[in-house]
Amino acid sequence: MSSARSCIFFSFLGLLAWFSVFIFSTCRADEEFSFNLDEFEKKPLDWGGYVELKWNHAKINRDSVFLQLNPADDSDSSLDQYSGTLQFDGSYNLKSSTFNWLAQASASHDDLGWYDVADVFEAYASLRPTPLATISLGKKSYKWGKGYAWNPVGFLNRTKDPNNPEESLEGFITAEADLVKSFTGDLQTVALTTVALPVVEHINEDFGETYNVDLAAKLYLLYKDTDIDFLILLGNSQSERFGFDFSKNLATNFEIHGELAYIPNQKQVTLQEDGSLLRGEESALSSLLGIRYLSESDVTSIVEYYHNGSGYSEEEMGNFYQLLAEGNAQFTTAGLNDQLNTARELSLQGYGRPQPGRDYLYARITQKDPFDILYLTPGITTIYNLRDESISLSPEVAYTGVTNWEFRLRYTYLEGNSLTEFGEKLNSSKLELRIRYFF
Amino acid sequence: MLLQLRKNAIAMLSILMAFSFTCLNSTQAAAADGSEILKQVDRNLQPDAYEMYRKLINVEPDGSKKEFVLYSVKKGQDKMAALFLSPASEKGRATLRIGENMWLYIPNVGRPIRITSLQSVVGGVFNNSDILRLDYSAEYNAENLAEEGDSYVLDLKAKTTAIAYDRLKMIVDKKTVLPTTIECYAASGMLIKTLYYKKPKDFGDGLIRPSVLETDSPLYKGYKSVMIYAKIKKKELADEVFTLNYLSKVDELR
Repeated sequence: MSSARSCIFFSFLGLLAWFSVFIFSTCRADEEFSFNLDEFEKKPLDWGGYVELKWNHAKINRDSVFLQLNPADDSDSSLDQYSGTLQFDGSYNLKSSTFNWLAQASASHDDLGWYDVADVFEAYASLRPTPLATISLGKKSYKWGKGYAWNPVGFLNRTKDPNNPEESLEGFITAEADLVKSFTGDLQTVALTTVALPVVEHINEDFGETYNVDLAAKLYLLYKDTDIDFLILLGNSQSERFGFDFSKNLATNFEIHGELAYIPNQKQVTLQEDGSLLRGEESALSSLLGIRYLSESDVTSIVEYYHNGSGYSEEEMGNFYQLLAEGNAQFTTAGLNDQLNTARELSLQGYGRPQPGRDYLYARITQKDPFDILYLTPGITTIYNLRDESISLSPEVAYTGVTNWEFRLRYTYLEGNSLTEFGEKLNSSKLELRIRYFF
Repeated sequence: MLLQLRKNAIAMLSILMAFSFTCLNSTQAAAADGSEILKQVDRNLQPDAYEMYRKLINVEPDGSKKEFVLYSVKKGQDKMAALFLSPASEKGRATLRIGENMWLYIPNVGRPIRITSLQSVVGGVFNNSDILRLDYSAEYNAENLAEEGDSYVLDLKAKTTAIAYDRLKMIVDKKTVLPTTIECYAASGMLIKTLYYKKPKDFGDGLIRPSVLETDSPLYKGYKSVMIYAKIKKKELADEVFTLNYLSKVDELR
C-alpha cells in the first residue's frame, strides 16, 4: 500500500473510531418515556436525506477480458476507493398541491484519481383535487413491477442493481394522471396510472430515439387479496411492450410474485461467430417468478427466477468475450484497438448491461436480530447465471441499532470459468464498508 | 326387571340430554356475551374512523432505547395506514393494511412491497399486526367468558389462520370495559407475548382509554416495547386513502 493510500485509509479508520465513540456515548442516555406532539406538527416544508461514507477494496481480476476497456494501472492487483455521498430530498405542500424533490451528489477517490457527480433524481409537482385523482408533472422515478432483483415489466424503470435494489434511481421527465377507486367485495381497488414521456434533445434522451412522445399505462387491481397489474408502453422511442404482474400472500409468512413482459419487436444487435454484427428485430418474452418466506426463526428468504427474453445466449456472450480477448491480444501485439472499439460499442448497445444473459437465479437470505442482538441483520445475496454457471456471492452484516445511523459491511466474491459472466468481471472480489447518517 | 332397566336407561338419557342442552346453551350465551363485550372493547378503544399519533419505544436489556413516531389513520374494521414521522432513517416509510393484506412503502424503493403480519418493520417485540391492529372483533371470535373479581376474562380464537396470533386471553376491566392485559398465543399453545394497557387518558370527544401499551415476550427475554398514544381524533376519510397509490401521500392527510 502506498503512503498516500495508507494515509487515506488510516484517516478513514480514525473517522470511524470518532463516530463510534460519539454514537455510543449519546445513545444510552437514560430518560423517562415522553411524547411531545408539538415536535411533529405538520409544516409545509419538509426535508431530509443522508450522508454516506463508503470504502471499497476490490481485488482486480487480471485475467478479465474487460481489463483493456477500463483505465486500470497494469501493475495493480487491487483497487481502493473512498467515496462520500449526500442525498437531499423533501417536499413543499400547499393545500392540495405538492412539490417534491430528490437530489444526490457524490465524490470518490481511488488510485486513478478523483470523480464527482451531482444530479437531480426527482423534481415534480403534483395536484390532488380529490383522493381519487392526482396529476403530476416533472422529473419522477418509476418502479413498476413486483420483482425484488429484476423487473421485466418496469417499462419506465431505470435498471437497478440487484445487489442494491433499494437505492434511489434517477427519474424521467413525464406528465402523469393517476385515478383510483375503492370498492367492497372481491374487487377492492382499481387504479389507472397513465404517463406521457417526451423524448427530445436534452429531455429523456437516454430513454430511446428522440423526437417522440411515448405513452405508458398501468392498470392495478386488488382482486381477491391479490395485487394485479396490466402494463403497456406505446410509442416510437422504444418498441411497444406489454406486461402483467401479480403478488399474493399465500400464508402469513409466505408471499409469491411474478411478472410477464412481451416485446413483439425488440431491436437487437447480435455479434456473430465470424465477428459480423446482426441487427434485427425479434419478439421477446421475459418472465420472473419469486417468493418471500419468513421462517419461525425470523429468517427471510427471497428467491427469484428470471428469464430475460431479450438477453444473450451463452454462445452469444461467449462470442463477445472472445472479441474482447482477441482485441486485447491485438492491442498488446500490434497496438491496434479496432476490435476493442467494436467491443466498446457493443457493450453500450446491450452486451454491457447488468445481467445480459438469458436465465438467472437470485436468492437473498437475511436473519433478523440473531443471538437476541436487536437491529443486527446478517445476510447473504447470490446471483447465479444458470446458462454459464457463474456466480456472485455477497455475505453481509448490517446494523441499525443507533438512531439514524446505518452500518453495513459486505464482501462480494465472484466465481466462474473464463468466458462466463462473473468469471470475466473486472473484480474477482470486493470488500465494502458503508456508513450512512440520516437527517 | 327388564322393563325397570329400560325405564332407568331412558331416565338417564333424558338427564344427560337436558344437561348437554343446558351446557350448550350456557356456552352459547357466554360466547354471545363475550362477543358483545369484545365489540364494546373495540368501541371504547377507538372511533370508527380516526387519525392517531403514537410513539413506539424499543427498550433493550441494557436500557438503551430506540424510538419511532407514527401517524396513523383507520377506517372501518379492516383498513389502516401508518406513516413514520421519526427517526429520520425511517421517515416517509408507510404501511397499509386492508384485512390481512399488508404492504410497506419505502421512499427509496419507490413502490409498495407485500409484508407479513408476523414481521416487524420497527424491530423489537411489536410486530406488524400490533402496529397495524384492526378491531379485535374483526379478527377474533369470543369462545368463552369468565369473571374474575373486577374483570372479565375472554378467551378469543382467531377467525382464520391468516391472523398473527391463534388465541388471545383478554382481561377486561368490568367498569370501563377496556382491556388491561392480553396474552397472545400461537396455534401450538406457546405464549408469544403479553400486552399491557396502562394509564387511562381523556382524548376528548368522549374517548377515555389507555394511553400506554407495553409488551414483553418470552421470545425476547429482557426486551420491552412501549407504545404511547398522544392523540386520537375522529376524522372523515375517503376509502381511496387506503390504497397502494395513496401510500406515498399519507403525510398529506395531516
